[in-house]
Amino acid sequence: MASHSTDTLALMELAIQQAKDALQFLEVPVGCVIVQDGKAIASGRNRTSETRNATRHAEMEAIDILLEQWQRDGLSELEIAEKFSQCSLYVTCEPCIMCAAALSILGIKEVYYGCANDKFGGCGSILSLHLQSSSEQPHGGAKGFTCTGGVMASEAVSLLRSFYEQGNPNAPKPHRPLARQATD
Amino acid sequence: MEETVVMNEETGEAWRIVNIPGKPPIPTDQQPTVNVYASMIEPNLANTLIRRLNQIAPLENLRHVKRIRKKAVEGGKSQLSAILCLACEDENQWNCVPENVQELVNSYQLSPFITQVCKYAASSKEEWEGQCKLWPTSYHPPTYNINGVMGFSEEDSQSVFSFMKFAIELAKSSEERLVNAAVIVDPSNRQIIASACDQINSWLPPESNASMSNGCIEQAESLCSHPKSSQVATNVFPLSNGSSDKFRKLYTNVSCLNPWRSSEQRPRTSSCYWHPLRHAAIVAIEVSAAMDRHLFPALGHIGDECYDVEDMQSSFITSPAKRPKTNLTNVEKEDKQVLHTKDSCSISERPYLCTGYDIFLVWEPCTMCAMALVHQRIRRIFYAFPNPKAGALGSVHRLQGEKSLNHHYAVFRVLLPYELPTKGETLAEIADKDKRANALQFH
Repeated sequence: MASHSTDTLALMELAIQQAKDALQFLEVPVGCVIVQDGKAIASGRNRTSETRNATRHAEMEAIDILLEQWQRDGLSELEIAEKFSQCSLYVTCEPCIMCAAALSILGIKEVYYGCANDKFGGCGSILSLHLQSSSEQPHGGAKGFTCTGGVMASEAVSLLRSFYEQGNPNAPKPHRPLARQATD
Repeated sequence: MEETVVMNEETGEAWRIVNIPGKPPIPTDQQPTVNVYASMIEPNLANTLIRRLNQIAPLENLRHVKRIRKKAVEGGKSQLSAILCLACEDENQWNCVPENVQELVNSYQLSPFITQVCKYAASSKEEWEGQCKLWPTSYHPPTYNINGVMGFSEEDSQSVFSFMKFAIELAKSSEERLVNAAVIVDPSNRQIIASACDQINSWLPPESNASMSNGCIEQAESLCSHPKSSQVATNVFPLSNGSSDKFRKLYTNVSCLNPWRSSEQRPRTSSCYWHPLRHAAIVAIEVSAAMDRHLFPALGHIGDECYDVEDMQSSFITSPAKRPKTNLTNVEKEDKQVLHTKDSCSISERPYLCTGYDIFLVWEPCTMCAMALVHQRIRRIFYAFPNPKAGALGSVHRLQGEKSLNHHYAVFRVLLPYELPTKGETLAEIADKDKRANALQFH
């Protein structure tokens, strides 16, 4: 596996902490931080069970924090767009198609993720929304972002595994994974 | 005569519902085929022959192809043909037929001929209908157990049209420009669970203070209030006398059509926040989740709490199909009744997320919204207008056909008898026609 800088690992460690936090609250353990100039300026973790809103992924939580804070500070739309273009996202699992599309809308600069998301991934696994280029529409077209996977992937996977081993208590009965099945 | 035309509209001739399958449909004449040997058979031998053929020459890679074809002939009789086995590349090589099939042919005195069958299973109802003209196949779309994929009953169609009209009224209820609108419906009782418009410019952050929230809720409500057909329509921008250029400008606020639109350098005019991801579908999901938390606050504690209807931001009203003319005060009264009955529901009736629910959208959702609807387990999506630059249900992507996803909804386009902004007729006038048609039908 490619070696990552200590800064990258330290930032991903913060995302892992968020994922552990989610696990404690019986949420699917995915966490993230948004970073500007090497500093984590917002964090988020999955809140889909608590909110009963399956779109409340870690990324969405962190994005909302920044949008609110920056506007409270008086920033305009244009200034906010400029800020996002200087931000990196560190997330324990590859952003899903929804989140990857959202990151493209915001025009984030880059994404570092832990494990791949074979079922829903929008940064290479199922769709490659990070590769969208805006050449056709120079103004207001789709925006791509650079993507680096496999940062502390095993830590991210082991958190997810421990969640699925205990079973998702919020899944409907027939879908509820049993501990026996999850271990293979 | 005029009334007859209206009647036709009412019966759904002008409105149509089209399934948007998981794969782009391939015209029948371009579908790959394979050659097979078939033969006419006597009906009284069908059982014996088919059982034997399935043993000696199973059609392993053609499971979608029916072994037997029934053709109606004159005199009310039918003629049966059966597939014997695959034919060789070279059409005339009878030699490649397995020996035991040859024996069968000889002992029953069959007369084999070569015919074509479709190589791959159909991915849409239209494709399947085309295939069957060649040789009958079976059709099992990934969503085949979802109502409507194989067609809608008259009653269900009318319900779909009513909710779509409701969504369109909502999209037009914003002051200057069209926005997208989303209406989540429980089709089992035709109740609206949640409705919302785009809220790109009217976000109310959940933890913001009360003084700010007042102004914002007001604005959000004015954007997304229950559309009262006549009132809304009179407020709408002039539909009849605008240039097409002007209409193109009107669409710029539909968030799913261009999610990447450049940010504007303009000061915030209201106390509301800007949020480029608050598309109608996302907001509607949020409202339905809030409704669920409100109605079922904690597992095992159902029925202990009183709910303040005014406190809720969502619209929870009875079907517009049933009551097109209810005024707002009545609706509010009904809200309370509905909530009361819901209140006493058992926990087992609480759906998991939006399982079993439909969503009506004026425009085909963008990738973000379409995936959000996968996550929230929506059962069926209906949209009126395609989204050529950013649509994810057939235009740019086709999420309903992504096999790896853990949930698949069925997607339908509702074709309207008019173009949204260019035709002079307002929805109020259409509603008026509907009313007259109803009157004709029932009196």
